[in-house]
Amino acid sequence: MKLDIETLVDLYRDMVLIRAFEFGLEREFKKGNVPGMLHTGVGQEATQAALAAHLTATDAFFPDHRCHGINALAQEKYQGDGERIMAELFGRATGVCSGKGGSLHSANPKVGNFGDNAVEGSYMATVLGVALAYQMRGQPNVACCIIGDGTVGRGEFHESLNMAAIWKLPVLYACVNNGYAISMPVGKGHASPDIVDLARGYGMPCVIVDGNDIELAYAEVQKAIEYIRAGNGPYFLEFKTWRWQGLFSGEFRPPEEVKYWKEERDPMRLAREKIVANSAMTAEDLKRIEAEVKAEIDQWINFAKGSPMPDPAKATADVYVGW
Amino acid sequence: MTQTSARTRTFVQALNEALDIAMERDPNVYMLGEDIGEMGGDFGVTRGLWAKYGEARVRDTPLSEAAIIGASVGSAMMGMRPVAEIMFADFIGECYDQLVNNAAKMHYMFDGQFKAPIVVRTACGGGFGGGPHHSQSVEGWFLNVPGIVLVAPATPADAKGLLLASIENDNPIIFLEHKALYRVKGDVPEGHYTTPLRRAAIARQGKDVTVVATMKMVHEALAAATELEKEGIDVEVVDLRTIRPYDAETVLESVRKTGRAVVASEAPKIGGLAAELSATIGEECFHDLKAPVLRVAGLDTPIPFSLVLEKYILPGKEQVIAGICSVMK
Repeated sequence: MKLDIETLVDLYRDMVLIRAFEFGLEREFKKGNVPGMLHTGVGQEATQAALAAHLTATDAFFPDHRCHGINALAQEKYQGDGERIMAELFGRATGVCSGKGGSLHSANPKVGNFGDNAVEGSYMATVLGVALAYQMRGQPNVACCIIGDGTVGRGEFHESLNMAAIWKLPVLYACVNNGYAISMPVGKGHASPDIVDLARGYGMPCVIVDGNDIELAYAEVQKAIEYIRAGNGPYFLEFKTWRWQGLFSGEFRPPEEVKYWKEERDPMRLAREKIVANSAMTAEDLKRIEAEVKAEIDQWINFAKGSPMPDPAKATADVYVGW
Repeated sequence: MTQTSARTRTFVQALNEALDIAMERDPNVYMLGEDIGEMGGDFGVTRGLWAKYGEARVRDTPLSEAAIIGASVGSAMMGMRPVAEIMFADFIGECYDQLVNNAAKMHYMFDGQFKAPIVVRTACGGGFGGGPHHSQSVEGWFLNVPGIVLVAPATPADAKGLLLASIENDNPIIFLEHKALYRVKGDVPEGHYTTPLRRAAIARQGKDVTVVATMKMVHEALAAATELEKEGIDVEVVDLRTIRPYDAETVLESVRKTGRAVVASEAPKIGGLAAELSATIGEECFHDLKAPVLRVAGLDTPIPFSLVLEKYILPGKEQVIAGICSVMK
């Protein structure tokens, strides 16, 4: 399938936003302005933009720890204030969780963002309940959980796929296989380096997608979501991609691998080439988009930095509902 | 309250009535768990409800405790009111993360945007030769978890009223059902009523010594009190009913009145409910105490299979009597 050029450019803009968000965040993190830990989704922009494009505000998604991008896209698309995701990462009162959640627990049900659980894989069980509620109420919605390849080692992976299959729940499993669980290569940590091999036994459609090709990712997500909305049950997508960020101790991956993914397989470059080859747009036109988006992200960062810290007394609020 | 007259019912029948009433009143209430459907559960608590409400609302699950609680939490985030059954409390380790990191923190970490009104019914407690993995008292596993509610009825009437109150409450609740109480009979009001959460009950009034207990230990304490009455010792028994957050006010008021406290818990002594209550009483009532607070609790061992061994490590009436006599010296 060929994507129309307007859609492709919109998706590219979303991808640019994700990368600018992550680079901006990384810069502020290094300056000590962002507390806690930082896991960025640089390199995985096409996958996130494709998912964000098809999920509506009445669907649900459970983001993983590299999903600042999809969180920001949903927040911007449905509420027009993506800067509140940035503010949350800065621990500010204006953040989507008023600073209580941070990078690993940003949520907003009004945009379909059901929040990350930093015990990776935990929400593979939670997603079942959201899907079950859709099913019991006859709603044609999709509950999507975005997981990494490392998460597949958790017991919840198997409990979730099994229960979704026997109950025919409207779950989209979006496995972002970026090759490593911290330092563990996917082929060493799992019985198969193709996660679909582990999912297939549960009887749902299992598809490997080039996660760095926005056009292909967009088409496969669309197909999966149409299948689920039609009441056919769960669907499993494995996006093959690669994260740019090393973890904790810096870069441990072979230099030729790093070079290959950062240069030849950079999702931004692949998208740019497609646009330029298939339209009247030039590299200069795309640079203009990049500059616009970057300026917006700079505003988001300024918003976050200029926002008030939460009232310390709020630390004891909302432990229990109504008590 | 629309209750009318009370009838004699077993603890199991009282729980079954509560589930039936909750399902009848609110279409968002549904149940899920292992063998709870046509079979009616290992202990018969859900008997008849599958036939009455159908398999969509009384859902049999595979042996997937994490998925059971995860599905409960997810649907609760959507406004459903799931009542999950974890067949034996000992299996809760399989879904500990779902309870501790999801259910308990959902409302807090997402700044009040989500609620997780789930009820997790589970059979706990020993005394029947169930062995190390079918007999434990798990309340201590959750005492250090803000956001979790622990409810623990001791009588059939409270079992029904507390279960209805739990299902109607907006917090994640672990509802402990002591297996030794399932066949206990008592007066149970008809129809819908709720027993307030976070409120202890004075199971027996007395003036000499306070025994704070939960579940089966309430009955052991009452039996001890009856015996000690003959010796002229007047025992007050406080049935805590909600273990977390607990009703410190009622406990402390009782201890201030009697000046002596025994805390009775079936769980191992170290780090458990008895330790928590003892510390709080010590902190708040030190100057009212005529004797140090005494803990009567299980020995610090796993639960052995052979009944002789099990009886040796679990506290009963005799240990409560010995404890009371010790603080009365």
